[in-house]
Order: sequence, then structure tokens, then C-alpha cells
Amino acid sequence: MYLLLDIFGYLSVVLRGLILIAQSFTLGGLAFQLLLWGPLQPRLSVYGLTIEERCRAFLRFSAFALALLTVASLALNAAALVGTLQVPWSEAVSADFGRADIVIAACALGIAILANGPAHRLRSAALLALSVLALAMQTRLTHAASRPDVRWPLLLSDAGHMAGAAVWIGGLPYFLIALNGCKDAGDWRLIARRYSLMSMAAVAAIVCGGLVMAANYIGSVAAIYGTAYGVMTLAKLGLLLMLLMLGAGNYFLVERLRRDPTTPILRLKRFAEVEIGIGLTVLLAAASLTSLPPGVDLPRDRLAWHEIVERATPQWPPRLTSPDYDKLTVAQLQAKITLADAGRANAQAAYVPGEGTILPRNAEDIAWSEYNHHWAGVFVVLIGLLALVEHFRWGRWARHWPLLFLAMAAFLFFRADEQAWPLGPAGFFESLRDPEVAQHRIFVLLIAVFGLFEWRVRLRGSKAGPAALVFPLTTALGGALLLTHSHAIANIKDQLLIEMSHTPLALCGVAAGWARWLELRLDGRVSRAAAWIWPVAFILVGLILLDYREA
Amino acid sequence: MRAFFRIAFVLSALWFLAHPNASQAHAIIVSSSPAAGATVSGDTVAIRLHFNSRIDRARSKLTLLAPDGAARALTPASDAPADELNADATRLPAGAWHLRWQVLSVDGHITRGDIPFTVH
Repeated sequence: MYLLLDIFGYLSVVLRGLILIAQSFTLGGLAFQLLLWGPLQPRLSVYGLTIEERCRAFLRFSAFALALLTVASLALNAAALVGTLQVPWSEAVSADFGRADIVIAACALGIAILANGPAHRLRSAALLALSVLALAMQTRLTHAASRPDVRWPLLLSDAGHMAGAAVWIGGLPYFLIALNGCKDAGDWRLIARRYSLMSMAAVAAIVCGGLVMAANYIGSVAAIYGTAYGVMTLAKLGLLLMLLMLGAGNYFLVERLRRDPTTPILRLKRFAEVEIGIGLTVLLAAASLTSLPPGVDLPRDRLAWHEIVERATPQWPPRLTSPDYDKLTVAQLQAKITLADAGRANAQAAYVPGEGTILPRNAEDIAWSEYNHHWAGVFVVLIGLLALVEHFRWGRWARHWPLLFLAMAAFLFFRADEQAWPLGPAGFFESLRDPEVAQHRIFVLLIAVFGLFEWRVRLRGSKAGPAALVFPLTTALGGALLLTHSHAIANIKDQLLIEMSHTPLALCGVAAGWARWLELRLDGRVSRAAAWIWPVAFILVGLILLDYREA
Repeated sequence: MRAFFRIAFVLSALWFLAHPNASQAHAIIVSSSPAAGATVSGDTVAIRLHFNSRIDRARSKLTLLAPDGAARALTPASDAPADELNADATRLPAGAWHLRWQVLSVDGHITRGDIPFTVH
């Protein structure tokens, strides 16, 4: 039970993210079937049985996943209640969230079973009813359900927001299956045009719902930058803008396809792939957002604009030497931390079971952490610069940049854990008993393997095949997972300032990963532009790391 | 292709394992009596916790931690507003006390917290 409580908070967010993804794919699949494939099929030149079967198989898989994940989430939350309140399982499961979860799981299971055959009128009506019920129950697990004031506008906005995400993001895999399955330009035109219209309506629902929620949950400009909720909303907005740019590109291509049936649709497919990736990132960010109290509820201890500017103002030189107690600057830093701690003594604390308490940190700890971040920044800036140099004829030598990952791994191996071998008193194997050290060592190994792997890819060039896609996928995944990082529930300023640097890092990671994906999967102008975008995003990541400060 | 998916899966699993600190919760205290750091009289301490969301009182708890660390469970009042957790504590000896709360908000999130106060 203690182990469960230790990882409860993290598992809850991950499960919530996976549930939102499965829900989007389930409802998106139904929307695709009912609004696009069903009505269009008589006008398509192909019979499309294979496409339909593939779409149904993906829909069934998504619905089963939604049922399983919901049951897992229910079990996890109930276990946390049983473990902390010592109540019987029956009482834990019968809470409001438990009843909603049971209905959602039953609806998802029903959808999985009903989606087994062709969508006749009765079956379609049943599927629609089940999906509306599941969505309604899902809104009972959102902020809107627990607000003490008027809830209906927020519940409707949340439902519209989730339905819009499902139709647009959740419909994308089905859209890709249909584009790949059809071979006729006329079919592509019909499918792309209808999906484009559905997406535009979905975007309208997402934006309208989002605006109502933002007005109620954030409430003021100061809460946008002053609270974790506002910052995470900004991250979602940044991702939405990336999606809208891709969507606009697709819209223009669909219009061209309408005028000229010979227009190639490769870009449409590749953009859709990237939209899926960024869309999943948005859903993970949404899961992270549900773990935060609305900014409007935290009027005290918000970050002030001048505090953010002060923290973000670059300091030169970066901390490239180990900290030294005798230096005056470190002593000053300690005084500053002591002052901040004193201000925190009477603040309201809130945390989730198993989260533990925040350990006090001294100036040396912070200086050590900044030193590690700044050196990592040097490596990442160099990687980005060499990837840019590689574009020039005279710079072919720079294609060996993945070897810098090995140098970074070696640096982290020596410096990440000052208590462990070879710097500290704890031996190599003894130190692995500390979960944090073990985690760092796994990362070091991962970075080294990753560097060697990508180096081989660069040496093989176009012969590398699908292995080349590991780098963009890992980068994009890293960025996405940064958005599910831990949050201080109350406004703890020093933690919030650190978290703030994570958001631009995550957005740059997502942009870099998917730009590299487009470079590899496309050709022509877009590919050439993407080849410049991702190294620049890497340089930005490096510069953010170089500017990283904890006090 | 299979190797590619294997690598992608392993990398994803490692990324997931590497970020074990995220939290899911959002019921927080908007105002409390006693306030954090307050000094009160120990005869009768009226505990009034006002949250930012409606809470499931049957699945929430209040515990007082005495200066010597002993825990005393409190029974939340059943007639409090939907976003409050209230109780009365009587005859508290002087010293530094902690009020530990755990609530389940109606949307299913569990939150905990501590309020330190002094009894004179």
C-alpha cells in the first residue's frame, strides 16, 4: 500500500492522460463513422471494405482501452481511499467518481461490442447514445463538477471541449486510414473536404469551451502568468497554435485538391501524422491541467511579473564551475533562500497522499543543480549548432554531432549525484539502492545508447530506414512528458518559477521532434524548412537550460 | 520495423518511469479557522475549513496532532455547506498543534494538508 501511495499522484495523471487519449479515439472513431464514412460511402469509387474494417478494429481497440483504463483509474483511486481512510472497498467505489467511472467503463465496453458490425440505423443510434452518456459522465470527473458555484455552463463547455478534441484529434487516425486505403483522387478530395469541415467545427467547439473555462478558472491576466494553472493553459494554447498551423496547411491543400485533382496528398498525410503526435501531447497537458487547482482559487502568493522577468533575465557567465561555499555570491544566495523559506512558514500546504514533504535545499544544492543544467545547455546548444553546420557543404564533418550525447552522458555520470561513486562516498552498486540515483544512471545509459544509435543513423544516411524516426519520436515524447511534470498544488513561488522553465523546454522539444519527423517523412520545401527548424529549437532548448536558475 | 517499435516502446517506458512526481489533486483551502500559524484558546477550537470545491464529507477526514505527536480523530459536522469541512475540538492542552486534513473532492481527487497552530 505504501508503494502504491508513493506513486499514486504520478499514476493518476498518466492514467488520466491515457483515458483522455482512448476517449478521443473512441468518440472520434464514432464521429468519423457517423459523419464522414457512412454518408460518403455511396459516393466513393471504392467499396472500402478493408478501410471500414481497419477503422472498426481501431475503434474497438480504443473503446476496450477506454474501459480498461477507466477501471484501472477507479481501482487506483479507490485503493488510495481504502489505504488512507481505512474504509471498506464498497464505500470507496461507491463515491461519485466511482459511479461515474463504472458507467463510463460500461459505455465503452458497449461501444466496443456494438462497433463489431456495420453501422445500421439502430446500431448507430445506440452507439451515439452510449458515447453521449460516456461523455456526460466524464464531465463529472472534471473541475466543473466540483465547483461550488453555477456548474452548468462549465459542464457544457467541458463536454464541448472534449467532444471537439475527439472529433478533430481522435478522428485523425481514421482519416489517415481512409486516405491510405483510397487510391482515387476524387475519393481523397471528398474525404479531405468533409474531414476539414468537421475539424473546423471541432476547433470552434474547442475554442468556445476553452474560452468559457479560461474566463472562469483563470479569471485575470495576473493569474495567467502567476499560477501553474495559467502557465499550463498557455502551454496548451501554444500546442493548439502549432496544430492550427498544420490544419491551415492542410486546408489550403484540400482547396488546391478541389481545383486540381492531380495535387499530391503526401503532405496531407504527413501533416496528419504530426497532428496526431501534437494532439496526444495536448491531451497529456490536459491531464496535467486537471491535477491543478484553478488559478482563480489561488489569489495569494502568485508570481509577480517582475519576479518572472528577474528570474528569466540571462545571467552571464553561466555556472560552469562547481559551487564553493566560500564565495560571496553563494553566501548571498543562502541568505535569499532563508528569506524565502521564512515567508513560506505560514503558507497553506496541500499535497496528495505519498507526495511527501519538500526537503529544504541549501545554496550549494542549488548551485550544483544549476551547474549541471548549464553544462547540459552547453551540450545541447552545440548539438543544435552542429546540426545546422551539417547543412553546408563545408560542414559535412558536423554530422557526427550525436557523439556529443556520449560526452553529455559521461558528464552526467560523474556529476549528477554528488553522493555516489566516483565523487561521493557511496559505492557504485550501493548507490543504485537510491531510486533517484538509479534513475539518473538509467538515463545516463539511455543517453549513451541513444547517442550511438543516432550516430549510426547519421552515418547510414538515407539507408537508415525507420530507425531514423526514433530520434524525432523520442524528442517529441520527452517534450510531451515534460508537460506531465509535478506541480506544486499551492502557489509555492520558488517551485513555480522552476516549473516555468519546463514549459518552453517542452514546447521546443515537441516542435523539434515533429519538425525532424517532417524532414524525414516529406520532401521538397517543407522538408527543407523543417531541417532548419529543429536545430534552432534545439539551440533554444540549450539556451533555456543555460539560463536555468533555481533562486 | 519490429525493432523500431521495440526501441520506441522501451524509450517511452523509461520516460514514464523517469517522472514519478506528478500529482493529481485540486481541492485546496480557500480560508481556514484556525489560520495557519494562529494562536487560539484551547477551551473550544471551532475548526472551519473552506475549500475551493465541493467535497465528499463521508470520504474525508480531520485529525489533530498533539504537541507530543498523538493523533486525535475529529468527526466532521454533517450539516456544513458542501465546500466546507467543520468540527469542534475541546480541551486542547497548550502547545504546538497540527490540524491534518484529507478530502475527496466530488470529481474524485484526493488532497491532504497540514495547518499548524498554537494553543495558549
